[in-house]
Amino acid sequence: MMTVSTIPIWVVDIGGSILMIVLSLSCLRLAYDLRRKDRTNVIWTYLLWVCCALTLFAVSRSAGHILKQILIFSGQRGVWDVIRPVSGGLNTFAFIVVASVTLFFQQTWTIYHTIENDRSALQRARDELLYLNQNLENLVAERTRELGHSEKKYRRIFETSRDMILVTAVDGTILDLNPMGRETLVRKATGLEIVGQPFQTFFAQTIDWDNLLREVSSKGFVSNAEVELRHVDGSSFRALVSAGQDRALAEEGEAIHFLVKDIEERRLMEKQMAQADKLASIGEFSAGIAHEINNPLGVILGYTQLLIRREDENSERYTDLKTIEKHVRNCKTIVEDLLNFARSSPTRKDQVHLHDIIDDVIHFIQHHSRKGGLTIQKTYDGTLPPMVLDEKKVKQVFMNLIMNAKHAVGKSGTVRLTTRLLDDPKRAEVEVADDGYGIEKKNLSRIFDPFFTTKPTGEGTGLGLSVSYGIIKKHGGDIHVDSSPGAGTVFTVVLPINGRDT
Amino acid sequence: MRLPFPRFFIALPAALTALLAQPALATQGHGAPEGLYAHQFAHVFFAISMGILIYWLRRARLVDQPGWRHIQFSAVFFILWNIDAFIVHMLEEQLAVLAVTRVNPWHISLASPAPYTWLQYLYIVVKLDHLLCVPAMAFLFSGLRRLRSGGSRPGLHGSTRT
Repeated sequence: MMTVSTIPIWVVDIGGSILMIVLSLSCLRLAYDLRRKDRTNVIWTYLLWVCCALTLFAVSRSAGHILKQILIFSGQRGVWDVIRPVSGGLNTFAFIVVASVTLFFQQTWTIYHTIENDRSALQRARDELLYLNQNLENLVAERTRELGHSEKKYRRIFETSRDMILVTAVDGTILDLNPMGRETLVRKATGLEIVGQPFQTFFAQTIDWDNLLREVSSKGFVSNAEVELRHVDGSSFRALVSAGQDRALAEEGEAIHFLVKDIEERRLMEKQMAQADKLASIGEFSAGIAHEINNPLGVILGYTQLLIRREDENSERYTDLKTIEKHVRNCKTIVEDLLNFARSSPTRKDQVHLHDIIDDVIHFIQHHSRKGGLTIQKTYDGTLPPMVLDEKKVKQVFMNLIMNAKHAVGKSGTVRLTTRLLDDPKRAEVEVADDGYGIEKKNLSRIFDPFFTTKPTGEGTGLGLSVSYGIIKKHGGDIHVDSSPGAGTVFTVVLPINGRDT
Repeated sequence: MRLPFPRFFIALPAALTALLAQPALATQGHGAPEGLYAHQFAHVFFAISMGILIYWLRRARLVDQPGWRHIQFSAVFFILWNIDAFIVHMLEEQLAVLAVTRVNPWHISLASPAPYTWLQYLYIVVKLDHLLCVPAMAFLFSGLRRLRSGGSRPGLHGSTRT
């Protein structure tokens, strides 16, 4: 058995009870303050309930303890025995209330969190609406300005593009067309309205349009399809067409965007380059052969002439040797022509006037050919200065061209000779035009080929134009032809003013 | 729906219960120990609810804030106090191994059989239960005061989970 003093227990009990009452009431006050500051906050309401239950528990228990000590000390234990179950029951009830309220914390917190999230979302929406309301006019103005800039930028691309940009409906009706497209299709027919016309009418081959449309329908786009298009005047040109389907234009329904690149000029240039390459190869080949043949021909001619000297002019052998000599000379002429074409023979350039050269040629032709219905018209540019040329060879060129023109016009016709001075760099351009039958398209690419001729056998060697080509190239110039059947032929010779040996 | 066992096994006990029933009182009587048991259950319930509160405070990461952290400490002290009070009630009124007699208003005598004499010391310690419930209430007060000074929107700063 152990006897202990009750003073420590009593002091802690009474002191603790008083502190419990004070602290619980203080907690209640704080919870009440929090609740009063924000009545909509469910967490503060919850804490107020917890504090109410704890205060009930603390007051009930502490008051019971204090009363117990007072009653025991005052010798009224019987009274305490009556109060005790009531105090104990009240304490039990207070525990259960505190515990029960506490168990609702999680649900309370979830509700609070949901409300707070909704409140934040509403606040953000409200702020945004307020901002939009206050700045709507500015925002609309800014957006309109941006759209204006954007529209201007793309409009500039549309209008300044050097390729044709075209918008059509799915049935091909042209909805919009940029200036370059109009220029390409319409050319000089300025009054013609293109918008509203079907784009397929500008296709030379209907099948090209059908294939294009089918591919756009299936794949949604077409890239660089090469087709032949027609200008309004009926002439055709090759073009690369890219197209894409646009389903976004709600107002006008579905549309197709076309980007058309005119490649005619490039193709012509490629053809010219191919022709130049071909002629250069033939020239090299011809020069090789001409050198090999020229020497034996010289020997044959020499010995033939020696034999002719010993023969009587009336003898049959003399006649035979003369025939050999004539044909050997013809062969040598052909070989020299080949060498001229191949540009292998040396040139002797002097300062001469081109008009004098042409006049000499015309004079020669007019005196050495039969009188007929040939009319030669000259249109000379008086500003053309003297040029550095190999007079003999250039004469040969114009002799070939004028003789060809004369042959083309037949018994009666006109040959027009036009000269003009070109600037930057300074060049002389001479046009030799006739109103003859013209040249078939299939022959155009071959007329500068050696031995190519449309004349009957025996009337032409087919070297005239190829030799002319070689001479002009040797002078650093250019020669080209423009012809179509029934419309005559125009040969254009361009020569540099200050001769250039290439 | 078909029952998993024959209806016979339900019908027989029901019939026996009806036939063998004795007269019964409408309400049950509540003797003296029942109040003590209800009080002890209330302590257990209180302690469990405080444990659950701590769990939710930590799960929602509210304990990162000083106010809720002090409320968590308060819950810990309440759990300790409930355990303490449970032991006091058990020693005083449920177990027969410790006899407490008031010698005079200033002294009490404690008696326990030989192997359980340590219970006398335990009783003196656990009898000072206010050393646990007063700090619990003080932490609650401190927590509330911090919440009041911390702003009107509790627990939504940073990431919280519900």
